Amino acid sequence: MFKIKTAASAALIAVLSASPALAADADVNALRNEVEKMRQAYEQRINQLEAKLNQLEGNRAQVGTTANTPPATSRRRIADNSFNPSIGMILNGQFRQYSQSESEMPGFAVSHEGERGEEGLGLGHSEISLSANVDDKFLASSTLAIAEHEGETETETETELEEAYIQTLPGAGLPVGMSVKAGRAFWTLGYLNEHHSHADDFADRPLPYRVFMNHAYNDDGLQVSYLLPTDGYAEIGGGVYRGDDFPYGGNSGSGSGAWSAYARIGGDIGDNQSWRVGAYMLSGEAEDARASNEDLVTFTGDSDLEIIDLRYTWAPTGNARDREVIVQAEYFQREEDGVYKAPGAVKATVNGKSDDGWYLQGVYKFAPQWRVGARYSELSSDATPIDLIGTDLDNEGHDPEVLSLMVDWTNSEFSRVRLQLNREDLSGDETDEQAVLQYVMSIGAHGAHKY
Amino acid sequence: MPRILTIIVAGLLSAVPFTAMAQVNVFACEPEWAALAEEIGGAKIKTFSATHARQDPHYIRARPSLIAKVRRADLIICSGAELEVGWLPILLQKARPQVQPNGIGHLMASQYVPLLGAGANVDRSMGHVHAAGNPHIHLNPHHMVPIAAQVSDRLAKIDPANAAHYQSRLQDFTQRWQQALAQWETRATNLKGAQVVVHHSSLSYLIDWLQMRTVASLEPKPGIPPTTSHLERLLQQLNAAPANLMLRTPYEPDTASLWLSSKTNIPAVVLPYTIDGAANTGDLFALYEATLAVLLDKCRC
Repeated sequence: MFKIKTAASAALIAVLSASPALAADADVNALRNEVEKMRQAYEQRINQLEAKLNQLEGNRAQVGTTANTPPATSRRRIADNSFNPSIGMILNGQFRQYSQSESEMPGFAVSHEGERGEEGLGLGHSEISLSANVDDKFLASSTLAIAEHEGETETETETELEEAYIQTLPGAGLPVGMSVKAGRAFWTLGYLNEHHSHADDFADRPLPYRVFMNHAYNDDGLQVSYLLPTDGYAEIGGGVYRGDDFPYGGNSGSGSGAWSAYARIGGDIGDNQSWRVGAYMLSGEAEDARASNEDLVTFTGDSDLEIIDLRYTWAPTGNARDREVIVQAEYFQREEDGVYKAPGAVKATVNGKSDDGWYLQGVYKFAPQWRVGARYSELSSDATPIDLIGTDLDNEGHDPEVLSLMVDWTNSEFSRVRLQLNREDLSGDETDEQAVLQYVMSIGAHGAHKY
Repeated sequence: MPRILTIIVAGLLSAVPFTAMAQVNVFACEPEWAALAEEIGGAKIKTFSATHARQDPHYIRARPSLIAKVRRADLIICSGAELEVGWLPILLQKARPQVQPNGIGHLMASQYVPLLGAGANVDRSMGHVHAAGNPHIHLNPHHMVPIAAQVSDRLAKIDPANAAHYQSRLQDFTQRWQQALAQWETRATNLKGAQVVVHHSSLSYLIDWLQMRTVASLEPKPGIPPTTSHLERLLQQLNAAPANLMLRTPYEPDTASLWLSSKTNIPAVVLPYTIDGAANTGDLFALYEATLAVLLDKCRC
């Protein structure tokens, strides 16, 4: 009944509006009345339906929650922001106080980021990261770091592209367990290198990282890793790099300047302990002068690095959130063949110059939010070549060493405040007593942490 | 020479499917899913649980051993809803395509049941809350029915040769489960309306199922450990309006619970929470039996 009327009046309106000349006033009024009646009828029906709906909803509320009602089996998608890149930001602020106004490390070519941080209040190392799956085969990720460095006259703020890489996803058609990463990244090399410094257990990196890698090795390159199909964990990998980042520099772009290889294994001991050990090798050439010591010292030649790392975790109560012990150690050995240049037209050829360094640290979580830790790191350099005596590279018969103690408070997974005390004996002359108060906070997306 | 090569290649190719499909490798993020998989798979599958009852499943390290296990897995079963967000993505990086999100071997149980607290407008100042909803879903036994059906379905697709086996075990399990469920609900009627104090929202589904009422939480905000001032407030609140039970899981610390219990005389109870969380909780049936037994024993209601 309604349908016919609606159709008829719709047709009429169409005809009338199409040819207004034909419409007489009386007809229009009749039509208006008709339409008004229809509107009222519809409104009445809608009101009835609404009342019915309200009544039903009321009944359901009385029945209560999901208790005793079998759940629906429909498959729901959990929204995960998959079409937008995950955006995250790490804020890292530090207050540092030193007992010595100068800090020198004789015997070593130390670059920018290997030096101690700027004294006083300041931003340490803030990071902004973006990452997303590109499609079914690739993932892309980038991290921009904003860091403060001690310049010649004042503190300089530097923006650095720490990471910008693509990585194959398991659906890319490579053998299971294999993945390729290309671009710029914190390459797999020792324990700390592939981690962002905000995840470190101490406010600064241990001596071997500061001296041999200038904080971290993130050259441009390509790395392949393969997880073996064994019952226990075993992974191998290797890569080729441009050779532009410390310990290399000034690559002309012809061929690759450096390559790496690694192997590591790991497993569990019982329910609550696990471990991983690895061996790594990085070999390459600083083709055209790697600068260090505020650009006063340069090195041109081959530099090879061998690293062994160990990490062990133990949750005494089973629940690592409650109590946990973490022990971590790394040993570095570097061998260099090439030419060192220092101020005063000093030029020295070194052949098989062998320096090494290591650190050992332990962290104990004694309450869910509190941890204490201690770290000792040490370096030792080869006998100083005769030509370099009296320069920055003269070790003066001393091995640098640092003892660090820290306590940190973790309010949630996203915020941490830390106090660290360092006793740096780098030159053998004076001991630098340092205090560092640090916060690390994370907002937005925050990827899962590696072991 | 070419003939030898052909024979070797053919031999390798024919060997692969047989060796690979001897048993379906099931990686469960939590012990309850390993137990459910065993109910459905029986001897045709090999299960491994990444966590045990004394671990908080949200705070697990992406340990090397887990990376190796996931790489060999044909099916992974996890709670989902962000519970494993801090470690599962790392494990999946080197795993097979079929266990990746949306793959046939990627089963997130929380996608098949209604979640409590889902869709709430949350931000991180509210503590550790999951925008996707509360992920501790396994303590409402009704949830096991649709999830078991999914497990059976996935196993049948991954290992079609044994599809009938999985189907019949599913039917058997569902039937026994429904019977047990009816019994549990009859026995638990006394618990209805009981007022409970919890540590975290880990037991919400159990409380919801038994129609108990949560009157307080020892954590001031989800994920933030109990503070003295918060406990003092709770003490006042509970002295004014006592509760029946103070519940916690085996992995939640006991200090706050024991202190408040001694001050208020409300019994502090550790529930098994999951498989092997207490004596005689070796499978899902036993887990619920033990949970109900301890609740009925301790509740003055």
